[in-house]
Amino acid sequence: MSLLEISGLEVAYGVQRVIRGISLNVAEGEFAALVGPNGHGKTTVLRAISGLARAKAGGIRLAGQPLTGLRPDRIVAAGVIHVPQGDLLFPGMSVLDNLRMGAYLPEAARDEAQRLDEIFTLLPKLRDRQSQIASTLSGGERRMVGIGRGLMAGGRILMLDEPSLGLAPIVIDQIYELVQALAKSGRTILVVEENAIRIADMADRMHLLDNGAIAWSGTGREFLSSPEIFATYLGG
Amino acid sequence: MDVATQILISGLTLGAIYAVSTIGLALIYGALNMLNMAQGGLLALGGYIAMWGMQAMGWPAPVAALAAMAAGTLAGGMIFVAAARPMLGGEGFETRIFIATIGIGLMLESVILKLFGPQPQAQSLKLEGGFMLGRVSLPLQNILIFVTALLMLVLVAGLLNRSRLGRAIRATSMNRDAAQLMGVPIRRIYLTILMLSGALAALSGIMISSMSGLLPNMGADPMLKAFIICVVAGLGNVPGAALTAFAIGMLEAVIQYIFGVQYAFAILLCLVIAVLIWRPQGVFGQKEVVRL
Ligand SMILES: Nc1ncnc2c1ncn2[C@@H]1O[C@H](COP(=O)(O)OP(=O)(O)OP(=O)(O)O)[C@@H](O)[C@H]1O
Ligand SMILES: [Mg+2]
Repeated sequence: MSLLEISGLEVAYGVQRVIRGISLNVAEGEFAALVGPNGHGKTTVLRAISGLARAKAGGIRLAGQPLTGLRPDRIVAAGVIHVPQGDLLFPGMSVLDNLRMGAYLPEAARDEAQRLDEIFTLLPKLRDRQSQIASTLSGGERRMVGIGRGLMAGGRILMLDEPSLGLAPIVIDQIYELVQALAKSGRTILVVEENAIRIADMADRMHLLDNGAIAWSGTGREFLSSPEIFATYLGG
Repeated sequence: MDVATQILISGLTLGAIYAVSTIGLALIYGALNMLNMAQGGLLALGGYIAMWGMQAMGWPAPVAALAAMAAGTLAGGMIFVAAARPMLGGEGFETRIFIATIGIGLMLESVILKLFGPQPQAQSLKLEGGFMLGRVSLPLQNILIFVTALLMLVLVAGLLNRSRLGRAIRATSMNRDAAQLMGVPIRRIYLTILMLSGALAALSGIMISSMSGLLPNMGADPMLKAFIICVVAGLGNVPGAALTAFAIGMLEAVIQYIFGVQYAFAILLCLVIAVLIWRPQGVFGQKEVVRL
């Protein structure tokens, strides 16, 4: 059975339909990727899953439990972790306070000290920068805090929206090494990525979003040889 | 020397009164992008409930003060439930809630007018007497106001910086979406902020009326000043608002002494405009933060 099940999801901003009935499943322990060109609705899909955007139609379930219509805080409590595009850190808070906000919910707060330790082991750079104010961090450090803050919540599925956005190539490699390590440790991951080629040999499963609809789904290897990718990226 | 002491006393008292009511406004604006124009009504509500509690009910002063704050809490909560919550997330929230709270403020004032009449009345919750500092008299009421305000500021600072609720409030003010993704129930946070701000306004209203008496529209000028302080500090900046409140209080005391009470407000406004030309985002304000 799939951990995350999306069926016939539609999202509109005003009269503009941005997501036009997509269905996709993410299995427990799977590393899934949602790819597609700019503005085709990748972020909107994640926002609908985490409740920040309202679904107009369709269903979203986590381990069989329906999420549609729930408020975002209930969806987080159910186990959906969303690391948003552009990090959205709390700029006036220290790195430590940002991370602690990740463990805001009581269940996560109980293990706060232990989780902090795990995250500092995973991202040693953050240990030295605990007291630095988030708005003064570099882009790469910010991304690490964003991901670390998400990990603090625990959760059952980790959704990352463009973890490579705006970073230098060497930092992108570091971030994706981290994501791969998380995937290897058994976490269920759904990554949104604009650059499909970058992620094709890492992901277990790829979903290509073309104008608010899933144009193609399959394994990363199949993806590289499928003609749809060229139609979507070059055909516009 | 005596003059300086006199100015210091009245400046600190004014600053304390302004600070208590302004931090509530700053919290509300920071979290909801909402200008609460019912603040004036809340100030009057606090003042009148305290007087009524002592006069009509015979309560001791601390009980009357707590009752006034409870009424303010309730009124603040009702502003959220009845006006803000239905409008949240809709088109033009800032404008609509602005107009709605003007209406609520007017309603509060009319009810007070109906119940207590239009005539000025004295605030019963007031300490009489004082003592001499050299040749300057230091009224006990001023000390009470200053100590109470300081206590309130310390309590609110402790709440914001040390508690889980406080971290949730600051997170919500810094980034609404991110706060929700951490599991913060932002509507409950909004409600809490409005209730807290109502209680602070009620307390400030008691302080104001203990200095200048009760009138149904006694909140109008103080509300205007509170907004000015918010804007000078940088909208939504809570510690900045508290500091600015004391600065403006001192400034007002100095201007009152040099030019007389009738010019104080006008000169203050000119200074404020000059400050805002120099720093449009406010003295403690950051450059406009873009919200997603
Ligand atoms: N709050 C909003 N109001 C109106 N339209 C929106 C809103 N958010 C997104 N859109 C529109 O929805 C469409 C999809 O946007 P979305 O951000 O989901 O795309 P994306 O695939 O994540 O793009 P990118 O790769 O640039 O992040 C775009 O046309 C965008 O302009
Ligand atoms: Mg996006």
